[in-house]
Amino acid sequence: MEKAKISGWQLFVLMLLFELGTAIVINPGLGAKKDAWLTVLLGMIIGLLLFVVYFVLYRLYPDLSLIGYGKKILGKYAGTVLGVLYLFYFLYIAVRDLRDFGELLTASTYIYTPIFVINTIMILSVAFVLWHGLEVLARTGEFFFVILMMVGVVGTTLVLGSGQIDINQLRPILENGWKPVLSILPLTATFPFGEIIVFTMLLPYLNQPRLCLRAGLSAMSFGGILLTWVVAMDIAVLGIYVASRSAFPLLSAIGLIDMAGLFQRLDVAVVLTLIIGGFFKIAIFFYAALVSATELFKVKKYTSLIFPLSIVVLLSSMSVASNSVDHIKKGVELVPYYIHLPFQVGIPFILLAIALIRRHIKSN
Amino acid sequence: MNIWNRFKERMQGRKRKEQETSNEGKNSLDKNLLVNINHLKQDLGDSSDLVIRHFEMGGEPLIKTAAIYISGLVNEKNVNEFVSGALKVEASIEKMTQESSVVNSFDFIKGHAHSVEKVTVVSEWDKLLLAVLSGYTVILVDGYDEAITGDTKGGETRGVNEPSTQLIIRGPKVAFTESIGTNVALIRRYLKSPDLRFETMQVGSISKTDVAVMYMKGIASEKVLREIKTRLNKIEVDDIIDSGYIEQYIQDTSLTLFPTIYNTERPDSVVGNLMEGRIAIIVDGTPFVLVAPALFIQFFQTPSDYYQNFVISSFLRLLRVISFTISLLTPSLYIALTTFHPQMIPTPLLVSLAAQQEGVPFPLFMEVLLMEFTFEIIREAGLRMPRAVGQAVSIVGGLVLGQAAVQAGIVSATTIIVVALTGIASFAVPSYNIAVAPRILRFSLMIIAGSFGLYGVLMALFILIAHMSSLRSLGIPYLSPFAPFIWSDIKDSIIRQPLWSMNSRPRLINQQNVQRQAKSQKPVPSDPADSYSKNEKGD
Repeated sequence: MEKAKISGWQLFVLMLLFELGTAIVINPGLGAKKDAWLTVLLGMIIGLLLFVVYFVLYRLYPDLSLIGYGKKILGKYAGTVLGVLYLFYFLYIAVRDLRDFGELLTASTYIYTPIFVINTIMILSVAFVLWHGLEVLARTGEFFFVILMMVGVVGTTLVLGSGQIDINQLRPILENGWKPVLSILPLTATFPFGEIIVFTMLLPYLNQPRLCLRAGLSAMSFGGILLTWVVAMDIAVLGIYVASRSAFPLLSAIGLIDMAGLFQRLDVAVVLTLIIGGFFKIAIFFYAALVSATELFKVKKYTSLIFPLSIVVLLSSMSVASNSVDHIKKGVELVPYYIHLPFQVGIPFILLAIALIRRHIKSN
Repeated sequence: MNIWNRFKERMQGRKRKEQETSNEGKNSLDKNLLVNINHLKQDLGDSSDLVIRHFEMGGEPLIKTAAIYISGLVNEKNVNEFVSGALKVEASIEKMTQESSVVNSFDFIKGHAHSVEKVTVVSEWDKLLLAVLSGYTVILVDGYDEAITGDTKGGETRGVNEPSTQLIIRGPKVAFTESIGTNVALIRRYLKSPDLRFETMQVGSISKTDVAVMYMKGIASEKVLREIKTRLNKIEVDDIIDSGYIEQYIQDTSLTLFPTIYNTERPDSVVGNLMEGRIAIIVDGTPFVLVAPALFIQFFQTPSDYYQNFVISSFLRLLRVISFTISLLTPSLYIALTTFHPQMIPTPLLVSLAAQQEGVPFPLFMEVLLMEFTFEIIREAGLRMPRAVGQAVSIVGGLVLGQAAVQAGIVSATTIIVVALTGIASFAVPSYNIAVAPRILRFSLMIIAGSFGLYGVLMALFILIAHMSSLRSLGIPYLSPFAPFIWSDIKDSIIRQPLWSMNSRPRLINQQNVQRQAKSQKPVPSDPADSYSKNEKGD
């Protein structure tokens, strides 16, 4: 394990950046039409519950990561198998996020640039930052968090001031009943909230364990409320028909801002947000994969794995889907149900149950 | 193996022998005065600035003595006082001959040699040589293998002047000089406290430069102090000419463009830093004093920030940071926006930019790169020019390269504006050595912007910020109090709160003695309105 320590505030910042990540640009839950904001909010609540489960596991084994206590709970062999599965999970999501990011950037601004170039630059920067360790990642996060918040405040003020918001676009609430909302819920609960499971790999580095729950819950609720606000704003500005057809509703919504001919074409702010969020999301998943591999294969320094794993992630991001449509289809239809749900909900619950039963038996 | 061991033994034996011979042959004084003098002359290469004054004193038998010093390094008045005090004691010669024999005439002379500072007795050659070479006067007495040295340092030095690099509007107008003694005294005058400590050591095996570590006992962190001392003790070089040498040997990493040790020529700045728990390193022979640990934001602060209204200071600090960002980013953003993202520029502006660009034969990227490079050349050329030539450089640079280049249609006017803005902005950063970093980084950022646009610039910024947050200055994270975020230290960083509200010293730099002043010192007038109304009533 690395000798790093992060503070409660740094955990909060990393979690928030992670939550906003790509989700602020690709709105999850627009499938629920006008009630998209409601699915996001409900997804956040489910996410908070999931985080409590991860937190209880962390309290049971405060010095161990998910891989570590997986081995403790399931025994050496089953635990190792589980660890390898999680390693692939983290790697796969890092790959998917990198591809997401590349697709978004090529579609929005870099139309003529090959996606491979964009992904290469991204993975190089991520590798550079991770090479310096978790502490540097956290400090970089603190710095860009401030920038992101400033962009957010300015953007929100301008949207509110531009008079483009029509609250009637959001009404009526629950037009088609609860069914569409609930059917989209697994999507919003797992992305981005359930993905917080990746932080089980980072929690052992926390220097004030008592701040863990507070930092996590506040970051997730703050992030969830921001995401809810952004979805609601997109729909209120664009109307549900444009919003659900647009590839990047936030980009379109911000693009409509025109205040006195001076503040206009603020799409750059959205691209900025996307790059910052995407960077931290990929970096955190990649870091979790690195730490998992280090623990599983007993490598001395995780830095020696950065280069090979970067190449794996980069090449996989090119081959993970044949094209953009295929990529998005997999992301909406397969990944949440067959990958996110078992890894974010199923396995942690089983682990917790076994751990509690074992504890109970031991104390008896 | 065997051969190797034998070889090692032999080498060690030889070394030991060398040491022994040097000890016997060189390192102790002779009893004969003339032998000593000849030895000294020989060691110093019969140098012409070596002054040897012979004296004879006492009655029967005559005591032969000599005073030795190097003419340029001493204060002649002090030498005369020292020598006359010790050797020309006419009045007491009778007393001496009465009381004592030849045996303790050395002690007698020593007893009278108290008109100067630091009178000591040395019996080793290398100490004697060092004393002579650092401006001491040495008295040798025939028949004794010891010498009396007295501090008569002096010679030509520069007086205390106004600072030439760190000018401020309001505040003390005094700067350090090249003499370490003067510099220490300048600091001492501000802090009349016994806790102000300084420890002197000599660095440089040939130059034997005096280096003083100065700190406030009880405020400065013991850990950092120990770290600085070990790093200083590790230095094994021949000579130290400027504090810049020391800086490069003790900084945490040299693989960075950012300075991790602060330097200043202002005593008030050093005093402020000492009181925050930092440690000053004063090097003899240079007016620039090092201060460590140094944070990134410290290079944007000037002493006068504390002497004036806090709103003004906060605004100025913010302005400096913004200037730094401008000087780092403007050219690359200009390139990225115009070549990659023209849709982000408002249409009227874009039209005017395109119209200017029309007749220009170069791509915009080359144009900006060339002009930035030209600007750097003008700047470097103007820096060391004699004043008369400097004007010519600025005229040629400003008029010919600026105005004429636009009129000739080689570059567009906007490019000139961007380059000028970049240049001016970099002058607004108060510390020279941090303003250099963006000058160099700018070029790599421009190349990245020309190849990958805004995305490339942002990724480069990620790498830059990560690099900066991985830096440490004597263990303190360079970007604190922002990353890691320390709320209590924000009060004196990019902003400055009112003095009365800054109750604690910076948290990362010192953990002990955190309280800086009494609490609740907000100036509250004793209710003049109330007394006024009372007076009115009385009337």
